[in-house]
Amino acid sequence: MSALTSVWKKEFRDAIRDRRSVLAAMSYAFFGPLLMAVAFFFLITQLTDQADVEITIKGQEHAPQFVDFLSERGVVAKQDDWAKTKTPIVLTLPENWQQSLKKAEPVEVTLRADWSAQKQQTDIKRVEQAVQAYSSQITAYRLTLRGIDPRVTQPLQLQKQDLATRGSKAALIMGSVLVFIILSVFWSGMNVAIDISAGERERNSLEFLLSQPLSTWDIVTGKALTATSFSLFGAILSLVLIPIIFAYVPLHEIGMNVNFSVGMMVLMFILLVPLALFATALQLFVSFRAKNFKEAQTYISFLLIIPMAASFGVEFARLKNPILYYLPLTGQHQAFLSLIRGESVNVMGTVISAVATLAVALLLMKYIARMLKSEKIVFGL
Amino acid sequence: MINVDALTKSFKNVQALDSLSFQAKDGEITGLLGPNGAGKTTCLRIIYGLLQSNTGKAEIAGVDANQNPIDARRNLGIFPDKFGLYERLTVREQIAYFAGLHGLKGKEQKQAVAKVIEKLDIKELTDRRMAGFSQGQRMKVALAQALVHSPRHLILDEPSRGLDVMSTRILRDILREQRAQGTCILFSSHVMQEVAALCDRVVVMANGKVAAEGTPQELCDMAGEQQLEDAFVKIIGTDEGIAA
Repeated sequence: MSALTSVWKKEFRDAIRDRRSVLAAMSYAFFGPLLMAVAFFFLITQLTDQADVEITIKGQEHAPQFVDFLSERGVVAKQDDWAKTKTPIVLTLPENWQQSLKKAEPVEVTLRADWSAQKQQTDIKRVEQAVQAYSSQITAYRLTLRGIDPRVTQPLQLQKQDLATRGSKAALIMGSVLVFIILSVFWSGMNVAIDISAGERERNSLEFLLSQPLSTWDIVTGKALTATSFSLFGAILSLVLIPIIFAYVPLHEIGMNVNFSVGMMVLMFILLVPLALFATALQLFVSFRAKNFKEAQTYISFLLIIPMAASFGVEFARLKNPILYYLPLTGQHQAFLSLIRGESVNVMGTVISAVATLAVALLLMKYIARMLKSEKIVFGL
Repeated sequence: MINVDALTKSFKNVQALDSLSFQAKDGEITGLLGPNGAGKTTCLRIIYGLLQSNTGKAEIAGVDANQNPIDARRNLGIFPDKFGLYERLTVREQIAYFAGLHGLKGKEQKQAVAKVIEKLDIKELTDRRMAGFSQGQRMKVALAQALVHSPRHLILDEPSRGLDVMSTRILRDILREQRAQGTCILFSSHVMQEVAALCDRVVVMANGKVAAEGTPQELCDMAGEQQLEDAFVKIIGTDEGIAA
C-alpha cells in the first residue's frame, strides 16, 4: 500500500510539472465547450431569424391591398439591388388584377425564384404561404357573400400537436454535448498515461523501477490513479464550464430549457469515475507495449476512435437496444441522456454498467501488471 | 552474500548463460569481467528477478530472486546499466522516491536521504531539478538512490562508463567505503584498470560460463602473465570486446 502511494505521489508530482500534460488536460475541457457554444449560438440565430423577407414585387400599383397584406406577413418590397451571389425572388402582379378579381376569375401571380437555393428556402416558403393565405381569405369572402359557410371548403382540418417537450428538443442538441463530456475522460488523461508508461521506457527508467521491491500491481495502480486524476480533472472542468458557457447561448429562443442542476452534475461526475479508470487502463495497456512516446501516441489516436464511434454512433444512429444500458461507455451515455432529458434513469442498468466498467478496468490493470513481469514485453525480447 | 548457482538462460536460439556459478561474499568487491555479449547483464537481470532462469538459481542472502523477487530486492541496491532519472524531479525527490519504495517513511526517510546526500557530497544539487545534469552529477544521484536504504548488497552494471576521472574516483571511494562496512558488492565491467584497481576477486565470464575465478594476482599467475589484461585475453582465448 505504501509503495502504491509512493508511486502515485511521485507520478502525480512528475506529471503536474509537465506543462504539456497539464495543458493537454485543460485545453480540451476548456476550448471544447467554447467551440460548441459558438456553433450553437449561430445555429440558434439562424433558426430564429424572423426578419422581413425582402423580394422584388413587380406591378405593386395594381394591387395595393395585397401588397399591404404581404407586408403584414413580413414580406416586403426590396429597396436596394440584389447581391450578385443571390438569385432574385420576384413576384409579378398582373395589370388585370382588379378586373379579374371583380369577375371572380383566377388572377395569375408569378413567383420567380431558385427553389434549389438552400438559403432562400424559408424565404420562398414564406412568400408562398402569404400568397396562399390571401387566396383563402378571398375565398372566404366570396363564399360568405353567396351565403355559403366558408368551412365547406375545408372538409379536413389537420391538428398538429407537437409532442416535443422543451426538454427533449434540448436533448437533441445536448446529445452532442454529452458525447463531448464522455470523451473528456479519454482526452484529458491521455498525455499523462503515455508519459508514465511509454515515456518511462523511453527515458530508460522502467527497468530500474521494475527492479525495486514492489509488485507490478502497485506500479500499475499508482500510475493508473495518476492518469485517472488528470482525466477526472478534465471531466470536472468540462462539467463546470459547460453550464457557465451555455448560460450565454440563447437556448430559450428556440424553446429549449436546459437545467444543469448541481445534483445532476455530481451524479454525472460519479458515473465518470469508473469510466476514467477504464480509459486510463486502456491507454496504459496500449502505451506500455510501445517503445517510445511517439509510437504510443500513434496507437492511442487509433484507440480514441473506439469511444468516439461508440458514443457518436449511438447518438446519431438513434440506436435503441436495452443492452446499451448495461455496457461500459454506452451505459454512461444512456444514463446521461436520461438525466438531461429529465427522464428517470435506468438505475439497474446504470449500476451494472458502472460495475462492469470498473471490472473491465481492473482486469485490464491486472493484465498490465502481468505484462510487466514478462521478459518479452519489458525487454522486447 | 550473492550466490549464483548453475544458472542457465537461453533466448530463442541464443544460449546466454550456460550453468554459470559464482559467489560474491560480504565485505568484498567482486568483479564480473567479460567481453561484450558474455552474458553479464543477463546474469544481473536474473539476480534482480527481472528475468527467469531456465535452470539454477540466484540467491541474495539466501532468498531466491526467481521465487521471491520482492524480498530478494529488499536487500539490494542497484546501479543500473542505463539510468534514466526523472528530470522533472529534484535530486531530493528522486532519492526520496526510491527510499519510499524500499519502505522508508517519514522521519526515517528524511534522515536516510540527508545522510546519503551528505555521503555523496551533492548538497548543492539537492533542490535542483535534474534536467541538464552532467554525466558525473547523474552518476552521483544514481549511486545515492541505490544506497539510500543502506542495502547489504550492491550491484553495479558497468558503473564507470562515460565518467570522467574525478567522477570515477568518487565512485571508487564510495565503493571502498561500502566494502569497509561489510557490504557485498558485485560489479560488472569490461574495463581492465577498473577491475584491477578495485576488485578483491574477479570472475571472468565468456560465452555464458565462468572462464576463471580468483584475485587479480591469482589470475595473472594462472595465465603466466604480468598484466591482468594479458591474463584476461589468454583466459578467454580472444581479445574481442575488451577495453583497456
